[in-house]
Amino acid sequence: MNRRRLRRMRNRRAFVVIAVCALAAAPLAAQAADSTPPSPVSTSPPTSLVVALGLRDPAMGAGVVRGDTVVLARGFEVELAKLLARRLGVPLGHFVELRPARRLLAGASTSWQLALAGIEPSSVARAAGDLSDPYLTTDAAVVLRRHLPRPRALSDLRRRTLCALRGSDSARTITTVVRPESAPLLATRPDRLRELLRTGACDAALVPSIEAGRFVRGHARELGPVTGRVESGEGLVVAVARASGLDVAAVDRALGQLRRAGTLGRLARTWLGLDPARLRTLR
Amino acid sequence: MRRVRLAIPAAVGASALVLAAPALGAPEARRGEVWFLRDGRPVSVTRVAPALPGLVRSLLEGPTRAERAKGLRSAIPAGTEVRELTISRRVVTVDLAARFAAGHEEESLTARVGQLVRTLRSAPGVVGVRIRVEGGVPVGLFPGYDLRRTVRAPLADRTAPGLRETQQLLVDLGFMAESGATGRPGDETSVAVLAFEKWSGLPRDGVLDDDVARALQRATRPEPVRHEPGRRVELLLDRQVALAIQDDKVVRVFHVSSGAGGRTPVGSFRIYRKERLSWSVPFKVWMPWASYFTGGIAFHEYGYVPAYAASHGCVRMMARDAPLMYAFATSGTPVDVIPRTA
Repeated sequence: MNRRRLRRMRNRRAFVVIAVCALAAAPLAAQAADSTPPSPVSTSPPTSLVVALGLRDPAMGAGVVRGDTVVLARGFEVELAKLLARRLGVPLGHFVELRPARRLLAGASTSWQLALAGIEPSSVARAAGDLSDPYLTTDAAVVLRRHLPRPRALSDLRRRTLCALRGSDSARTITTVVRPESAPLLATRPDRLRELLRTGACDAALVPSIEAGRFVRGHARELGPVTGRVESGEGLVVAVARASGLDVAAVDRALGQLRRAGTLGRLARTWLGLDPARLRTLR
Repeated sequence: MRRVRLAIPAAVGASALVLAAPALGAPEARRGEVWFLRDGRPVSVTRVAPALPGLVRSLLEGPTRAERAKGLRSAIPAGTEVRELTISRRVVTVDLAARFAAGHEEESLTARVGQLVRTLRSAPGVVGVRIRVEGGVPVGLFPGYDLRRTVRAPLADRTAPGLRETQQLLVDLGFMAESGATGRPGDETSVAVLAFEKWSGLPRDGVLDDDVARALQRATRPEPVRHEPGRRVELLLDRQVALAIQDDKVVRVFHVSSGAGGRTPVGSFRIYRKERLSWSVPFKVWMPWASYFTGGIAFHEYGYVPAYAASHGCVRMMARDAPLMYAFATSGTPVDVIPRTA
């Protein structure tokens, strides 16, 4: 009798433990299910477009975050989003902030249909949304010191003293692509980088091509020209949320039209100070 | 917690702040600092204002006509209005109209936040500032500032470098050896400043004053007069400097003193004789680190190297510089003696 009761009690305990475990695991399982990329369900086109922005700087994208929306938005990506909305034939609804861009993309939390947030193609980004063709190059631009002859090829740069911001993609490009004969000078701040170039301690600085125009703006008497670019990445792309009702091919077509019409170049010159696509590639 | 709120409709604008001032517990007018800019640098002026709102109003009004005549400017766009100003736990939250974020000149956007933070932080008891625009948090609009957080201090004023930074500039420009950037004043810095003054056409006193510091902020590396490949030396008689040039790049600028009254011959020569310790027969003096380039004319160390041409024809150099020139100008190195530069 006692044995039977003991067995029954054990069974009950085991049942309770299993039940508790199951209850605890349920949300985790649900979370795991949520974190998987949604299946590409085609829906009807959106009635208005919600665009996610990165809000990094006044040139690429910035604004005022009020509640869930971004107001007073401005910058290259903001203007590009407006143009894309027009080309896609969908009225622009409002902007939201994508913060931090990559993590939200990975979570596929899509309160938006398009994201223009300095997104570079990566496996994480691809898993979360459809990615367009690049709208801006992320190559490193070469800014010379004054009076230095323009390099025609990467080999001309190899003999020079190069500089970049410490820990930046441009610094990596120097060591992996250019491979100069002498060690590069690495600055900790952009103004120090500019100083190295102005004083001639460094012959050429590598800076992200989307920042090169702003890097030289107002310093024409102190610095040489932005002379070319060194290939170092695929570029910035638009992320199209799956099940948004938008077709990434349509976004690509719209970007192509804007590029051919020279609108992308004009936008870049207005907001970034130069059109990175017009820089000659050094090989 | 002490929390006082001043709700000001945008239409009423900053003028309403004065009326609401007593709510902040400082009814009587008192002196405060308002920060503007002169040549891009922050400058404070004193205003008599009823506490914080008055200070903010003075700031938004900009410099007076007299102050403008003295070169004071404001990066805050004219007509910017305050929507709301509150203080809680010694942190001021100021909500401004959209005009505060107008324009996309990055230096101006950063400078206007600096002006606002400096002005509010100068008020007694204020430890931080939160800036809002149209009731929201500005993100990415003001480079250098993360306005999601309370701003405790403005960005450091990078237009006023310290001695260490100034010495580094002299090194970068080629007027001083790397070892000279010590952060301590001394003879090596004075000589480098003197060489820079000679090159830049500034009064030759070797003193690192404001004029020199300003000129250093704009200076670019000296360029050779003649553009030729290889290792060369140019002696510029009018500027009294010698340039050590490698592949068309000036690697070092030396302060020198050449022959008085045009005694150093002009022309193109080559180093033809080098003596670690040379004896001058006509003047009966030892000349360490001598590199001869024509006749008895040489670069050499000398105890007295004034800021003007003072020698009998040779090129006097400082004790620290002469060995460097001796090492650089090997036998056969071209030496161009140039009387006048542009």
